[in-house]
Amino acid sequence: MSMTMETGELILYHVKPGDRVKSGQVLFEVMTDKIDMEVESPADGVIEQLVGEIGVAIEIGKPVLIMQTDTEVMSFDFGGDEPLPEAPAPVVETVAVQPAVIEAPVVAAPAPVALPPMTNPQEIRAVPKARAIAEDRGIDLRTVAPTGPDHTITVEDVGGNRLSDDQIKRQVANKALIAKGLEMTRSIPQISFSRNVKSGSVDLTSVISNWARVLRTRPDLNISPKDGSAVSHVGVAVIIESKYGSALPVFKDPDLQTLSELADLFASTAKSAHNGKVPLAMLSGATTAIFDLTRYQMNSSVPVLFPNQVTSLTIGENFSGEKIISLTIDLRYLDFYDGAQLLDSLISAL
Amino acid sequence: MSDRMLTMAEAVREAMGIAMEEREEVFILGEDIGIYGGAFGVTGDLYHRFGSERVLDTPISELGIVGAAVGAALSGMRPIVEIQFSDFTAQAMDQIANQAAKIHFMLGGALHVPLVLRTPQGSGTGAAAQHSQNLEPWFANVPGLKVVVPSNPADAKGLLLSAIDDPNPVIFLEHKLLYKIPGRDPVPEGAIRIPLGVSKVVRTGKDLTIVATGIMVNKSFEVAEKLAAEGISIELIDPRTISPLDTAPIFESVEKTGRLMVVQEGPSHAGYINEVIAQVSGSASFGNLIAPIKRLAGMNIPIPYAPQLEKVAVPQIADIEAAAREIVKNWR
Repeated sequence: MSMTMETGELILYHVKPGDRVKSGQVLFEVMTDKIDMEVESPADGVIEQLVGEIGVAIEIGKPVLIMQTDTEVMSFDFGGDEPLPEAPAPVVETVAVQPAVIEAPVVAAPAPVALPPMTNPQEIRAVPKARAIAEDRGIDLRTVAPTGPDHTITVEDVGGNRLSDDQIKRQVANKALIAKGLEMTRSIPQISFSRNVKSGSVDLTSVISNWARVLRTRPDLNISPKDGSAVSHVGVAVIIESKYGSALPVFKDPDLQTLSELADLFASTAKSAHNGKVPLAMLSGATTAIFDLTRYQMNSSVPVLFPNQVTSLTIGENFSGEKIISLTIDLRYLDFYDGAQLLDSLISAL
Repeated sequence: MSDRMLTMAEAVREAMGIAMEEREEVFILGEDIGIYGGAFGVTGDLYHRFGSERVLDTPISELGIVGAAVGAALSGMRPIVEIQFSDFTAQAMDQIANQAAKIHFMLGGALHVPLVLRTPQGSGTGAAAQHSQNLEPWFANVPGLKVVVPSNPADAKGLLLSAIDDPNPVIFLEHKLLYKIPGRDPVPEGAIRIPLGVSKVVRTGKDLTIVATGIMVNKSFEVAEKLAAEGISIELIDPRTISPLDTAPIFESVEKTGRLMVVQEGPSHAGYINEVIAQVSGSASFGNLIAPIKRLAGMNIPIPYAPQLEKVAVPQIADIEAAAREIVKNWR
C-alpha cells in the first residue's frame, strides 16, 4: 500500500466470528488503488466480530474486525466487577485489526563503532545465542563491541539479558493486577494449617489431581466468581513463572484426567507461559490455587486466598526431603475443623 | 520409604543376590570372587549363600572367563562376569567385542547373549597405569554392547537388575573409589529396577549444565553445592548409561542454561563426553548456547604411579570448581 493511501475497499473476509486464527493467517483482503492485498493476523486469537462491509471503502485506521488475542498479559480473571487498577494491561487484549499504512522501513542508525567496514558478519565471533538475538532484533553484529574471551560477542553484548520495555511494562501491570486481587481478599477471615508428608507421591501433578478430587466432594467450596453460587467444576489455578511475571493458568477438572495427561498439559502450559502465552480458556474458572515452592527449595509459606476462592495450597520441602503442604481457608465457608479435615483428606489421598 | 544407606559394593551385591534368588539361570564367575569375596569385596558372602556352582571361582584367564560366559548365555543361562580390573578386559576383548556383541546380529536374531560384565575402573588407588583406566569408550564404540556407568549405590542396584534382565550383553563399569562410600540417597529395599538408557537430573539449576558419570557426578555435585552459595546455579545430569545415551534431558537443560560443561575421568581424546558434545552441537539446543562448550577430562597419558601425578592426571573437585566458575563468569 502506498503511503498516500487513504481508503481501501474491503473485498472479502477469510474468517468468520468464532474462528480461531493463528498469527500470520490471512484475515481479509483489501483493494487499494494499486493492488489487492491480504491482511494477516497480528497474533493468535479468536475472531469476535466482523465490522466492515464488503465492497465498501474503509478509511485507514478504522476497524475491520475485532478479535481477542491469546493474552500476552498473564494473569487471571478475578471475575468480579471491580475496576482494575489504573492502567493495567487488560487480562485479554482486544485488538482492532486494520489495514496498516506501510511506511518506508526505518533503518536504525548503527551505534558509531569503529570496526573495519569490510568485516563479513560470518567472520565475526559470536556465541550462537547472540547471533540468534541479533538476527531477531535486527542488530548488525559488525556494530557490536565484543567483550567475551577471544573478542567474542556475548549475549550480554547484544542486550540479551535486558528486558524489553514492553516486557517491563507488562510485568508491572501484571503485578498490579495480582496485588489488586489480593487486596480484595485481605479482610476475609481466614486460617492456615500445614502438615509434613513423609511418604507417598507428592509431585505437583498428583497434588493438583488429588486436591481437585477432594474439592469435588465439597461442591459448596467451588463457587462462581460472579455471584458466589456453587459451580459444577473444580478449577485449580497453579502459580507458575512466565515471561511477564507470575501467571495462574487454571486446570479445569484435573482429577478427571489421567496423571500423565495432566502432566503433559502442565508441561505444555508451563512452556507456553514461559514464552508469554496462556490459552484464553485457561485464564478463568479458578476455584482454588496451588503454589509449588519445592522448585525454589523453600520450606513453606502461608497460602494466600485469591478473590472468590475459598481455599489455597502451597507445597514446600524441608532439608530432609519431607514435603510440607499448607492450606488456607476462608472461614465464611469452612469451620476450623472442616479445614483441618480437608487437608487431612488431601494428605491421605496422596 | 527406607532410609538404608549402603555402599556401592553392598548395593551391587544385593542386586546380584536378588537376581540369583529370582532366576536359577543367574550365576557369577570371575577371579577370587568365591571364598575370598572378590578383590574389592563386592561378591562378599554370595558364595556362602548360593554355593560354588553359582558363584564360580575361575582360573586367571579373562578370555576363558568371558568365553565360558558367552557360551553359557547362548545356552540359556544369565551369567554375570566379574573382571577384577577393567584393564584386564583387554585380554577378553575378542569374546566381548567380536562374539558377545555380534552373535545376535550375525545369526539373524536367532540367538542372543544375556551377559553382564561387571568390572571396576578408575584411578585414585595408586595402582598405576595398568590398573587405573576408564575404558568406557572402548565398549561404547562397539555396536551391540550396552554400557552402564553408575554413580551411586541406589542407581547401581536398580541398573544392575535391569542389566541382568536385558537379553543383550551389558558392560557395567564401577568406579573403585565409590565401592566403600555410602551414597547421598538411601537404597530402596527389594527388586527395584532402573531402566537402562534414562538420564537422571541429579540437581536442577539455571546457569550451567554439567554432564558427568561415575565418580565425576559426586565431584560435580560437591562443586554445585559449593557454588550455589556464590549464586551460581548448576544443573547436574548423570546419563547413567553411555550406550544407549539419553540426550533429551541434556538438550532440555542446555536450552535452559545456555552453558554446558562435560566432565569425565578418562583421557579427553575420543572420550564418551565428545559424543555428548557432538549431539548437543547437532541439536536445536545449539542455538541456545551462550558459551563455548567446556570439556574437562583426564590427560592423554597413562595414569602415573606417583600419587601427586596421579591426582593431577584427572579432574579433581578444585578443577571442576574453577572451570565452572570461569565459564559462568566469562560468558554472560
